[in-house]
Amino acid sequence: MVKAVVGDETQLQLAEDRLSQFSLPAQVGLVIGKLSSTLERGFVFDLVPTPQNDAGQPVCSVLEASKSDSKKGSKPKSRTSDSSSSLVIDKDWVAEHARQVSRMMVGGMKVVGIYVWASEAAFKNSTMVLCQTVKGVAAAASFCDDDMDERLLIHISYSPRRWTCRNCTLSSNITSSSLQPCDFKMGRVLTSLQTFKCLYNFDLRLPIYQGKASNSQMLSDVLCNAISIYAKELRGAKAMIDGNLVVNDETCKTDGLHEVELLLPFMKDTYIEACSQKDVIGIVSFIGSVCSFSFLNSKEPISQAIADIKDDIIRSLQSRLDIICDEADGDLGPTDNGITEESNDLSSEKPVSELVLHSLRKNCNLSFPRRVFVPWLAGTFISDYLQSSETLEVLKDHCVELMSMEAPNDASTILEPEEEALRVITRSFWDVVVPCSSAPSSSQEKSKEIISAENSQKSIKSPKVNFIAAVFFLLLSVIVGYTLVRKS
Amino acid sequence: MEKNNRSIRVECRKLLITRNESDLQWLIGSAFFPPLTILSTFRCIHSDPSGPDFHRESEEIRTLLLKGFDVIGALIVGKSDTEKTAARAIEAAWKLRKVLSGRTNSVNEETIGAVADPDTGDIRFFVSEAEGSTSLELTNSVSYDENPEKFVWETGCLLRCEIPIKLPFCFPVNKPSEVENIFLRAVEAVIAKFKDPNVVYMVEASSKASSDVVQPVILRGEELDFDTALPNIELLDKAVHNSDQKLLPCAHFCLKNKSTPELFSAENADIIQISVLLNRSEKSPKCKAPAVEYFPAMEETRLLIVDFNLEVLCYAVQGIPLMHAVSKLVIPGLVDQLNSMKKMTLPNLLTQHPQLHPYHFILPGIAHPITVIYELNYGETEMKQVDIRRSLHLRLGLPFDRPLIRIANALDLSTKDRSSNSSTRKGSSLLRDVHIGIPGSGVSGGSVSLVQGSYEYYHYLQDGFDDSGWGCAYRSLQTIISWFRLQHYSSIDVPSHREIQQSLVDIGDKDPSFIGSREWIGAIELSFVLDKLLGVSCKVINVRSGSELPEKCRELAMHFENQGTPIMIGGGVLAYTLLGVDYNEATGDTAFLILDPHYTGTDDPKKIINGGWCGWKKSIDSKGKSFFLHDKFYNLLLPQRPNMV
Repeated sequence: MVKAVVGDETQLQLAEDRLSQFSLPAQVGLVIGKLSSTLERGFVFDLVPTPQNDAGQPVCSVLEASKSDSKKGSKPKSRTSDSSSSLVIDKDWVAEHARQVSRMMVGGMKVVGIYVWASEAAFKNSTMVLCQTVKGVAAAASFCDDDMDERLLIHISYSPRRWTCRNCTLSSNITSSSLQPCDFKMGRVLTSLQTFKCLYNFDLRLPIYQGKASNSQMLSDVLCNAISIYAKELRGAKAMIDGNLVVNDETCKTDGLHEVELLLPFMKDTYIEACSQKDVIGIVSFIGSVCSFSFLNSKEPISQAIADIKDDIIRSLQSRLDIICDEADGDLGPTDNGITEESNDLSSEKPVSELVLHSLRKNCNLSFPRRVFVPWLAGTFISDYLQSSETLEVLKDHCVELMSMEAPNDASTILEPEEEALRVITRSFWDVVVPCSSAPSSSQEKSKEIISAENSQKSIKSPKVNFIAAVFFLLLSVIVGYTLVRKS
Repeated sequence: MEKNNRSIRVECRKLLITRNESDLQWLIGSAFFPPLTILSTFRCIHSDPSGPDFHRESEEIRTLLLKGFDVIGALIVGKSDTEKTAARAIEAAWKLRKVLSGRTNSVNEETIGAVADPDTGDIRFFVSEAEGSTSLELTNSVSYDENPEKFVWETGCLLRCEIPIKLPFCFPVNKPSEVENIFLRAVEAVIAKFKDPNVVYMVEASSKASSDVVQPVILRGEELDFDTALPNIELLDKAVHNSDQKLLPCAHFCLKNKSTPELFSAENADIIQISVLLNRSEKSPKCKAPAVEYFPAMEETRLLIVDFNLEVLCYAVQGIPLMHAVSKLVIPGLVDQLNSMKKMTLPNLLTQHPQLHPYHFILPGIAHPITVIYELNYGETEMKQVDIRRSLHLRLGLPFDRPLIRIANALDLSTKDRSSNSSTRKGSSLLRDVHIGIPGSGVSGGSVSLVQGSYEYYHYLQDGFDDSGWGCAYRSLQTIISWFRLQHYSSIDVPSHREIQQSLVDIGDKDPSFIGSREWIGAIELSFVLDKLLGVSCKVINVRSGSELPEKCRELAMHFENQGTPIMIGGGVLAYTLLGVDYNEATGDTAFLILDPHYTGTDDPKKIINGGWCGWKKSIDSKGKSFFLHDKFYNLLLPQRPNMV
């Protein structure tokens, strides 16, 4: 339960100036920050106004009860404290904004609620719609570790100029009690954040089983399922910060960038179903690296930074999958009729993520967008994803549109830790499942020799069989390039 | 080392050769001890006239022997030319050492060849410096240590590593013959993975008391040194505090103050826990965004998952650096255990996989623990398992009349808090072994023979059941059955009075009206119940008068030495449990260690001992009163140890 909220004095002052400068009758936007259940506190980093909707209209406007159908939002200086005025908010649009912005967040940084710039009376008359908007935002930008059942609603009233913060409980029905006032003050927030960075490499081999359940499984379903199972495993992982194992809940004393390393159990693949034998029709190789940042308030324990990093890694994978699926939906839309009844041979016209693996008899691949980090406020970063065809220009558009920030002029300040995913050289099923092919080590080669020598003695008739036959080894995480060029 | 200074050290109480039990015995030592220190012997059980079956011997010994211990020689029982026999022993030892370590170059450590005379039991020790050198040195300087546990555990500690491994692999359904090869290669890949630079070994103390202060240490695979041989590793001084985690000694995780000598035992050894983890954050300049690729299987393919539950125990001296303990003991231990399990799984790969589980045992007379892998799909009493245990008893020189390596005997390493294991044991709240620590018998110059192993003290009014005045024999029986339970001969619950009566009715000894009655039972009834419930047979000694009992002392002492079971004394009057005798053959002075079931108080050891409810009773005390009444007859029930393992 968040009892007190601290807003970053610099950013919120700027926001207030901005709001008063344009003298809008009303504005709604997202609150970026962090809620800490352990500290029972909320931190507000910045306020991001929701852009105009597709129709070019502001998302929030004041409705005067007396003049029922007046032009929304364009009312000149009608800031009279008319006791009957109320707010009209395009809730879906705000939620969509929250969904997109939440993809740009990194660890320890979230969409924690909404703010509204409105008169005292308009605010009072609009609690219903505001609560609904908060809930819509919470649903669109849900936290992975959903122990926080609340979001913030910040009201900036213009006369008198005053900031108030309320805590909106999500699970309860919308009543007056779902909004609880909480203590709000300004202070140093962004400048006291500590930075944690983590590179996370993974290599999943997901068997596709024969069976009714998998008959209609699309590639995106398989991946979505794998990510959610993998998230559980990751949550239990141990971690090191700057080479020291995190054992107890201390706070981090030192400044600067902290490197986080994640340690996972050895060959305990929870994502493989518990069964002793099962027929498989193929294998999905899901491999790559995720670069993650997380920002921690100096009062929070370091275990929170670890939890935020893990959270960020999982969200990053989910976000990328969402982006691919969104795009596929978009592509599919106009040509929908044409493609649905096509035979499987022509399925290549379908977006890869929507391929039904069960009926697919050939290799296919799909690259996830790569993650880039854009400098944000006070040394922090926000992230964005670039598809292989996209350039940094796309990024600038996102920054301006979604975060209402200035586009980064200097491209060198943008971090691009992830390279574009490798377009894989054609390999076969057995190539993928042979452990030796992915981890050449002397002992393995030796054993291979021994075994093949034995084989040639035993069954001279089928040397080819020996060659094809291969081991499938799901958590062999060593990637060729990765082992060879790894730093010490 | 000067040749004349060479001496053999025997850290083993039972290096005695009785009868012609086995031709060849392997001598066990450790690279951590001075060379030529013998800790125990393993009998060679697989051999034919041409010599030992080195392959089978090495397989079994590799599993049994904790990493940290080695075969350092061999002993042959024989009367022929001593020197030739010794040469034969040494040659066998060389060969086994080579097969065990998998190396092809010659053995260059000192190796012992011992020859024991089957009649006199005399052992002559010869030493060969290295393989190839033909000179054998007869070593006359042999010292026997009285306290091998202290020698092994004063400076030693245990390393424990447990990893459940899930090994999935695919094979083409139409070529099932391939599955074995694929499986073998999958196992090889796991073995390679133990030495992967990305693997991280987390080392932590296991006892709760010390884990509060000592932080776990992380050892990275890339830092491990697999090349230095164990004897060449420089031991670190315990006192030196090293800030470099790589060079921390095992002592870092061991309790510092170990002053009391009874703490020097395998049970009380410090255990260092080692976990294997995979570092997923290794830096690499080429960091690729995630990518997905789908590969359909072009032929009918099946996924097979084999589970391995590895649990390796290793011995190390506390001075050895942790990183070497991991690279030279833990990892080879994991590899060997995985290979053993692989071989056991291989024949049943496509059918039901064996449920293999390693257990660790501490055995009487052997200062070091051993490891056995059992297959849990079979019940323990099935013939196959019994045969496995029998052959292990044979190899380890253990008696065949007591279970010592059943699963219930295994060392319990899973509980983290081992500090309070003596008083609070799970399941039972009854007092155990109340006779330990009682005042002496007062027999001067007597030799004491006692019950072997633990029992629980059953007495009147326990469990809120009022049996005062009639239940003493029932209680004595319960104490005896608890002994059989605690020695793992049986897992049945100790029967209640009613259950005892029921079984007497069941065998037709009593009428059904007996159930629920308050009738006494005697030694004969006890023997029926023991036979019915446990299959235990008993010997009965009758004496017409209590005055005759001292004469039976020699026989009773023999019973405690050979059988070690508690004796029930019944007869004309009260029933007692007899736990031991103290007997001076020359003077005829005798005392009996009596556990009295007539006690009605609370389970307070002080009260029991002060009240004399458990204590030595002289047949005639200082006031001239006889403990055993002269005008009453007595029946002594001597349960016999079942001949089982």
